[in-house]
Amino acid sequence: MSERILSKRFGLADSHTIGVYEATGGYATARRVLQELTPAQVTDEVKKSNLRGRGGAGFPTGLKWSFIPRDTDRPVYLCVNADESEPGTFKDRHIMEQDPHLLLEGIIISAYAIGCHQAYIYIRGEYIPQIRRLRAAIQEAYGRGCLGRRILGSGFDLEVAVFTGAGAYICGEETALLESLEGKKGYPRLKPPFPAVVGLYGCPTIINNVETLANVPAILEKGGDWFAAVGANRSGGTRLFGVSGHVTRPGVYERPMGYSLKQLIFEDAGGILDGRTLKAVIPGGSSVPVLRADEIDIALDFESVAAAGSMLGSAGVIVMHDGTCMVRALQRLIHFYKDESCGQCSPCREGTGWLLKIINRIIRGDGRPEDVDVMRDVAEGILGNTICPLGDAAALPVISFVTKFRDEFEHFVRHKRSAVLAPVK
Amino acid sequence: MELSDQLKQTLDALKEQFPKGLSVLMPALHAVQAEHNHIPPELEQPLAAYLGVPAEIVHEVSTFYFMFHTRPVGRHHIYICGNLSCWLRGAETLRDHLADRLGIQPGETTSDGRVTLSVVECLGMCDHAPVMLLDGEFHPDLTVEKVDRILAGLS
Amino acid sequence: MDKVTVTINGRSFEARPGQSVLQTALDNGIHIPHYCFHPGLPVAGNCRMCLVEIEGVPKLQIACGTTVRDGMVIRSDNDRVRQAVRHVLEFLLINHPVDCPVCDQAGECGLQEYYMLVGRYDSRFAENKVVKHKKASPIGRWVMLDQERCILCSRCVRFTREITKTNEMAIFNRGDHAEIDVFPGGELHNRYSANIVDICPVGALTCRDFRFRCRVWYLKQAPSVCPGCARGCNIAIHFNPERPHHAGGRRVLRFKPRPNPHVNAFWLCDDGRYSYPFIDDHRLRFAALREEGGVRQLYLRDALDRLADWLRSAHAGRTAYLLSADASNEELFAARKLLRDALGVRCLLPDTGLRTGDADDFLICEDKHPNSRGARILFGLGESDPVSPERLEAVLGAEPPELLLVNRADLPGPLRDKILAAGTRLVFLGTNDNATAAAAHLVVPLAVFAEQAGTFTNIEGRVQKFELAVPPLGDAAPEWSVHQGLAERLSVDLAFPGPAAIFHQLAAEVDAFRGLSHESLTPHGAMIRHE
Repeated sequence: MSERILSKRFGLADSHTIGVYEATGGYATARRVLQELTPAQVTDEVKKSNLRGRGGAGFPTGLKWSFIPRDTDRPVYLCVNADESEPGTFKDRHIMEQDPHLLLEGIIISAYAIGCHQAYIYIRGEYIPQIRRLRAAIQEAYGRGCLGRRILGSGFDLEVAVFTGAGAYICGEETALLESLEGKKGYPRLKPPFPAVVGLYGCPTIINNVETLANVPAILEKGGDWFAAVGANRSGGTRLFGVSGHVTRPGVYERPMGYSLKQLIFEDAGGILDGRTLKAVIPGGSSVPVLRADEIDIALDFESVAAAGSMLGSAGVIVMHDGTCMVRALQRLIHFYKDESCGQCSPCREGTGWLLKIINRIIRGDGRPEDVDVMRDVAEGILGNTICPLGDAAALPVISFVTKFRDEFEHFVRHKRSAVLAPVK
Repeated sequence: MELSDQLKQTLDALKEQFPKGLSVLMPALHAVQAEHNHIPPELEQPLAAYLGVPAEIVHEVSTFYFMFHTRPVGRHHIYICGNLSCWLRGAETLRDHLADRLGIQPGETTSDGRVTLSVVECLGMCDHAPVMLLDGEFHPDLTVEKVDRILAGLS
Repeated sequence: MDKVTVTINGRSFEARPGQSVLQTALDNGIHIPHYCFHPGLPVAGNCRMCLVEIEGVPKLQIACGTTVRDGMVIRSDNDRVRQAVRHVLEFLLINHPVDCPVCDQAGECGLQEYYMLVGRYDSRFAENKVVKHKKASPIGRWVMLDQERCILCSRCVRFTREITKTNEMAIFNRGDHAEIDVFPGGELHNRYSANIVDICPVGALTCRDFRFRCRVWYLKQAPSVCPGCARGCNIAIHFNPERPHHAGGRRVLRFKPRPNPHVNAFWLCDDGRYSYPFIDDHRLRFAALREEGGVRQLYLRDALDRLADWLRSAHAGRTAYLLSADASNEELFAARKLLRDALGVRCLLPDTGLRTGDADDFLICEDKHPNSRGARILFGLGESDPVSPERLEAVLGAEPPELLLVNRADLPGPLRDKILAAGTRLVFLGTNDNATAAAAHLVVPLAVFAEQAGTFTNIEGRVQKFELAVPPLGDAAPEWSVHQGLAERLSVDLAFPGPAAIFHQLAAEVDAFRGLSHESLTPHGAMIRHE
């Protein structure tokens, strides 16, 4: 059946406690790794696994770790990206709520691999209950010698601290995360230099997503080859797919890479709400191009979704049925990017504001014939021209919505109302 | 305006936990807001002096992050998500209902200072949409009835 | 060192390893548009105007943030780049208030410039523009802020963070509500504040002193050296020859810094920058003679006749000359050759403005004269030779001279009265009016530095040239011209035909200046030989 790597403790009573964690085999792998393997061996195993970043960018994790300079005399940092703010994404929240020790064990093994003795978990400020739970788990781990000095019967030291954000999606971008951790505004940095060389406080730093790290214990327990085989193409392992929107059973579903999007929506998530018809799906969090209902017969791995003209991203699947006004739906997304634009660079700062003004005007009934083309061109002007991918993230939904649902936009402009009769509210 | 002794103690502990760079500033502002309900503008310079960071950077940070408020907010701050997944599940109706019940527009505070209503971006609770964050707790799977019950329970 | 050759728009150039693509292009006369880049500040890469295409790289890259590599092929002139840059410019303009008619920056504005160069599109922005808080808001003694004009290039932020390290400028709020500002209720409080006006590409930061005085297209420039202190920061004098009825009749409207990597980099202190008014204000324009009945104006030639008489008739041992460290090397040399060498006049350098104690570790020197070093070298004075007011009192007060020539300085009141009471003939040679000039028996009007070409020697011994910006007012003349006139009248065989020729003589006779010439001082000056 389907491998349960990340969600195997979900649903167990007190799954978040160290008692349950250890009773179900937790920390055994970390103990063995620290006592028997070298850091290089750990990295090699992760490389073999084809584990790719689960935050959205999908960068090969083992490769990222290998960018840490070998001969550095500066401290190496591990920053856990728990800033989960991509619309439609809530998987990291589940891990931190229901199996925080899995994350901690992943942190331990990964820190060992890169030579890090101080890890920070950057968690979004709104996740207040989850912060509490994480802090409790860390305290338990310290209490049991799983964190601190000479942990798990080894000579390895590791300190873990929680750092709370304060409401900025941009801080999920790794260099903006570093800026925020350093006490400043979340302004992304120019790259190069990359964080693995010049990161936190100018020192070599790896930033990994929560779900990415949560996979590491299983990789070291059962081997990189096994993990790669669970997946598809060059995407190893499973994903915690998050399904939300117009489905009867929204939630997280752990399925192997390459799982069918159609199956995920119509079987696992129980199909379309209120017996209506599917209209559109965003497969990977709001920052990826939307798919029409006739485009969803695809496998959910990085390569296949890219081939379909979208991206797997954060695997946040947002489902929209035929009661959805696509103009209003896009307005929600544009509003998001305009709110979250940090303002550092011109195209995103001014462009997202402009896009919002145009679409608000269309919705108000003051649309002009050229608006749709202008919106598309503005998005094209942002795409690829910004310091960080937030610009692209704003542009891609705009371009895909006005391309694939152009008639709805033109209808709204011409008739000053939505083409969807009785739209969902 | 001065930093209270209790706040100074908290700041000292935070400075020990985050000694490098200006890192202490973020948790420090959270601490200030926890004590004062918001970040009083008059406290920015004393805070800057105490932490040894430029006051300009304190103000940059306090105006950049949406969870930092530089003006007083209500005793209870309702963060209701207005992003796509919540919107698809009826958040707009609930927002209007809240505004109606409280007699304020989103972004405003009730005249008795009890409740502030803010429409925010994705809270990461899309599987329980529509959702609000209030007083450190998430309220998932909202309906009009649930909202009314929550409001009734506010002091 | 490894050679780095790059191709830009089809042409090959050698680049310095570690240089940015933008710097390489600019060094070779290829103008890639940019706003946030400034050679004196760290790279920010936020304006996105310098996007270029790099062969082999899928996305366009910012030239300021890309280091050259051997064999790199760069294009800034194809449609793809042009379109991207036009988009960026459009984004910067959509919320920009079209204040040109009331904005001082017009004519030297980055947005105007690039709109004409790479824009030229019709606006398609049909929305209301973002409104910000501060319009025409002073944020310091010298600087005015207009937040809506700001393109958030962050140059001013980087200047106050990295150069003055005073942190006054910051960017508050997020997204398109981001605003450049000082701390609420605060202001700029560093002594280099007006540099942010220079570096602001648009009219967000403008100079309060220059505000609405003159349109910049009426200004001409002359390269010069700041007379405010011994640092000798390089400046450009901006003067207004076309609209003399503007700016209350002042000819010189402002100083701007001129880059010199050896002296002031790109910067200028506020004190020096705003010292220009003395060029036009309270000037002595005509020679004057004080007699029993009062003061009457003289032609300069008549004043020189009179002065020559007085010099001829006075005993050399009882004539004194107070020289000025505000004079150029050429003026000082002429004075030395005639007065000290030929006539044996006793020459003293007052130390007022020399040891003020007001200095910093950046540009500001405690010596508030531009040419103390030149004065000391040319008159063979040591460090401790300049005379304090007490010593001056002792020297001149005890034995008042028959004839006292004072150059520019204002004698302390009691000393002045004492000398006059003792019957000393007091001659004032100077540029600006003061109490000593008012009390003098003879006034000879001198041209200021901006009204002649010449050189100063700065605190480090760098000899730097300045050019004539505006002609002398009235009958004022450069001091060397005065000494030429005196030499002729006194039959002394000296000639001071002009600054370049005088410098030539000076370099031949004074060891410290050996080998230098006016030509050799371009572009950044040259060091004297070790004293």
